Amino acid sequence: MAADRSTAGLERFLAERADHLLRTAVLLAGNREAGEDLLQTAVERLLRRWGRIDGDPEGYVRRTLCNLAIDGYRRAGRWRQKERLLRTELRQPQDETGDVDLRDALVPLLVQLPARQRAVLVLRYWEQLTDAEAAAVLGCSEGTVKSSGSRGLARLRELADGWNDTAAMCGRNGKRS
Amino acid sequence: MSTDVEDLLREGMERFTADLRAPAGLTCQIARRRRRRRLALCSLTGAAAALTAGAVALAVVVVPSRQRTGVELTADVVTRVSSALTAADPGDIAQMSVTTSSASPYGGKTTTTTAEEWSYGDQWRSVTYSSPGHPLYDEGYTASAGSSVYTLVNYSTRSWTKRPGLGRPAAAIPFSTLPTARGCRPAIGAFPLLYKFGLPGMGLPASLLPSTVARSLRTAVSCGTLTVAGRQTVDGVGAIKLTSCAGSPISETIWVSPSTYLPVRVVVRSASGAAGPAWAPGAPAVQQTADITWLPPTAQNLAKLTVPIPAGFRKVSLSAVAAPTFKQISSALLPRPKAFCLMPAANACGNPAFPVGGPPPGSGYR
Repeated sequence: MAADRSTAGLERFLAERADHLLRTAVLLAGNREAGEDLLQTAVERLLRRWGRIDGDPEGYVRRTLCNLAIDGYRRAGRWRQKERLLRTELRQPQDETGDVDLRDALVPLLVQLPARQRAVLVLRYWEQLTDAEAAAVLGCSEGTVKSSGSRGLARLRELADGWNDTAAMCGRNGKRS
Repeated sequence: MSTDVEDLLREGMERFTADLRAPAGLTCQIARRRRRRRLALCSLTGAAAALTAGAVALAVVVVPSRQRTGVELTADVVTRVSSALTAADPGDIAQMSVTTSSASPYGGKTTTTTAEEWSYGDQWRSVTYSSPGHPLYDEGYTASAGSSVYTLVNYSTRSWTKRPGLGRPAAAIPFSTLPTARGCRPAIGAFPLLYKFGLPGMGLPASLLPSTVARSLRTAVSCGTLTVAGRQTVDGVGAIKLTSCAGSPISETIWVSPSTYLPVRVVVRSASGAAGPAWAPGAPAVQQTADITWLPPTAQNLAKLTVPIPAGFRKVSLSAVAAPTFKQISSALLPRPKAFCLMPAANACGNPAFPVGGPPPGSGYR
């Protein structure tokens, strides 16, 4: 049976997949408001092309989200604005143990990474795509995905180490100098 | 901290997003956003005055949160209907119950025929019934694996025939034949393309053959001659009503489902009067009502496109079965008029006319 490309089909698709796509968008954008904005833009593009998309519409939205996130970074340098949000969020650790604190802190730390590195990490560790699948989404080579992912993780480790040191100094209460 | 970061990142992403839920009505939010952008574009291009002038009391459908002009609302609905019909061609099978009533301009009684019709891509089938509900004739065109065949069964003479190469509907009207990006060519049909009179598979010129129902409806809707006229209940659903502007030689009304934006009922009326409508002097006043159901192309539904040959019927030549069939067709319904546009000029009703496929990019209506 042919893919359902009616308006009802679109509504069904969004009802089933919008939550997951919003989470991807929030991880790519750094916070909920920016994530919702990103998702709305991606879904708007999906609406325009709904009758003509061959294959998986979720893949189309995912690709659009990544492209928008990367382009947005290039255009406006908005991640630098989000750095301030990051600091705000780091003042609110949610658990007593170091690992759990770090786990909660890692995602906000993502906003300090360049957009492509962040997109690779989101696709690899949130969407659970392989290097090849992530390369297809981002429109780059598998080697680029591997190197971006590796550099992103390395940078994240540096940031996490710095965060651990600071947290230890502050008695893990989240108050930073 | 080797793979620990990867594991923690994975868990962190789960936790960070665990309570996120997409807002309800995501598509409505997007529609509002698009409208805001569209309005900004219109004001930039000086169209704001036209929109204000067109702000009639028709803005009752779809999104009641903001008062919208009739033009804006119609454009939005037309875009949605056009998109839905694009998706339905050939995604869904159009099943129609068609009632045709015609009154002779020279007096006499009104003739009414009913038919069940199916259209899926290029394939179609039509069963015409007598007033008591008995089948008169059944015809159809099926195509598979590179071969196509037209089948005609006449129940009165208990005969049937099959003929390869006949009955294929007209191809889609190419974009390049449109005179302007936003206009409708006068020959593009709204009314007569929807239904056929007589036997379309019997060697009539290709321009007189029916296009697919979805394609024809999309053409009609995109012509820019329809205006949203509120809602009416059709089969228990509050359908959106689109109607042609006053003074049209042919009155056309289409009701579309508010959820799928696919047409669920179409009523077409030609002008009455002894002289007949201007486009076909002497032709009778005709009204056709089609109730449309859109079916998924399951094996069971696809089987409805095949004309069954009843047991005991004789196979005869095409002419032997066609001649008596033509006699059964009410003379009031022949000949089938040539396709045309209700109002060839764009903005005949103050609406934008879109080419097949919807409004052009950058027009402000995307």
